Amino acid sequence: VASVTAVPGSFRDPGGRVWRVGDRILRTVMPSAAPHYEFARDSGLLARLEERGALIGHAEVDAAVLGDAAAGARYVLEHPRLPFVSHPYEWPFAALQAAALLQLDLLLEAIAAGATLSDATAYNVQFRGAEPVFIDTLSFRRYEEGSYWLGHRQFCEQFLNPLLLRSHLNLPYHAWYRGSPEGIAAADVARLLPAWRKLAPNVAMHVVLQARLQAGQHAREKAEAAVARGGGLSRKGFTDIVRGLRVWIQGLEPAQSNKTAFADYATDNTYSAADTDFKARFVAEYAASARPAVVLDLGCNTGRFSDAALEGGAGYAVGVDGDTDALDRAYAISRKRKRPLLALHMNLSDPTPSQGWAQGERAGLAERCAQSCDGVLALAVVHHLAIAGNVPLAQVVRWIASLAPTGVVEFVPKSDPMVQRLLALREDVFADYDEDTFARALEAEAEIVARETVPGTGRRLYRYARRAPGRA
Amino acid sequence: MSPRPATASRIARCLRALPAFVFAALFAPHAAAYLDPGTGSILLQGLIAGLAAAATFLSLYWQKAKALWRSWFGGKSRDDGDDAGPR
Repeated sequence: VASVTAVPGSFRDPGGRVWRVGDRILRTVMPSAAPHYEFARDSGLLARLEERGALIGHAEVDAAVLGDAAAGARYVLEHPRLPFVSHPYEWPFAALQAAALLQLDLLLEAIAAGATLSDATAYNVQFRGAEPVFIDTLSFRRYEEGSYWLGHRQFCEQFLNPLLLRSHLNLPYHAWYRGSPEGIAAADVARLLPAWRKLAPNVAMHVVLQARLQAGQHAREKAEAAVARGGGLSRKGFTDIVRGLRVWIQGLEPAQSNKTAFADYATDNTYSAADTDFKARFVAEYAASARPAVVLDLGCNTGRFSDAALEGGAGYAVGVDGDTDALDRAYAISRKRKRPLLALHMNLSDPTPSQGWAQGERAGLAERCAQSCDGVLALAVVHHLAIAGNVPLAQVVRWIASLAPTGVVEFVPKSDPMVQRLLALREDVFADYDEDTFARALEAEAEIVARETVPGTGRRLYRYARRAPGRA
Repeated sequence: MSPRPATASRIARCLRALPAFVFAALFAPHAAAYLDPGTGSILLQGLIAGLAAAATFLSLYWQKAKALWRSWFGGKSRDDGDDAGPR
């Protein structure tokens, strides 16, 4: 019998919780949220959104599947499992933007159907490839005439303000957002923006004025009185605010964005097309034989080798890279081709940690890989971690092999021009950086299934499979 | 319709009511949520609602003022109130 575990990160709204039972994802609906759920269900809103792919599907199932965990619940819902869960601080600009637009579209459609959203958290959006999907069926609440948009501040902190950092200030938001997972405060953005930016009506309202009002004297008392007193924001006023934000956000672009999203980014290296094709074939063969459901592509760049894995038979790819521009391109390609590759921002020498409440609310890379990834690609990665990052080679290999039970790892020798470039300005303190150390480290973790030299280079491709069965 | 008082006194009455109108727009019905909506956000939305209400109010009375003007000086109006201003 599969054990029932509560999904961390679903505890904030007492109206319901998410549970994992084996591979199944279930949600309890408590009596407090049941009338809202029934309203959204019976009005046809949920079905409409689910059919369009904007909202994750759901089915009402027998509460017995959850055992004691279903105690007190009015309904138990089952959702399809997503291939990989990601966090907003990992999303490239256009993904965060797409998630923001989805949130606003859902809100507009909800209002038209007499409902509203109880919050606006970015963690309620997940991705299937480049397509955002809203995952919280219980966010829909019955709309009461005159009520405020309660998620407005959260929307600004978790969507708008990070987008503005990149768009108006050319600051990548990932590190700041990761360090402040509830979002980036309007006051902080207001302090950074130049005066001329603050003259734009949207910035003046949603950033400057909101920050000013938040800090104003007696602001709290005034806001409490406003909420208690009743009256208010008309339905038209509500939708006008949401529509205004939507138009604004849709028009945002990264500062200094490179419009040629499909430029030959991959040519800025010493590989020839023949090398790349050779490596792609090796990856495709691996995927055809190991058939990973979800493959993690470390240092994915635009996703060239993920493509090979997907063509070879992998089900889904998660590409991680610390290069903001490359990721923007990877996302754009996924979006254009409907490619099942999720592009995520990550510094490989400091992968996303488990964090949030009790250090478990937002799972880190290792934890998510253990749950979701059964394959890994590490092409042209090892030398960056070992030489640029000073991580001992054996530790690099051990870490890669810990992420998935099968995979492809490329060893780049010291004589390689790319490694020479990394060493050009520094002392070579990497006495143990050689293929023998690499191969021994990999063999300690897994069986080496195949090994091939990339023609005309000293680079070597290894395919491995961990000996112990399962995803320990 | 209620009996029509003198136009000037109606305008004066409505102008007196303006602050109360804007003020009322600042306050919404009881809206319980598990999420703290934030002081700045609520006050901002109240302000936006107030400005929108004021704009509606003023545009309404701008129409009335125009009608009054026409009734004083215009004789027969050129058309039936379908003015060429922005929609």
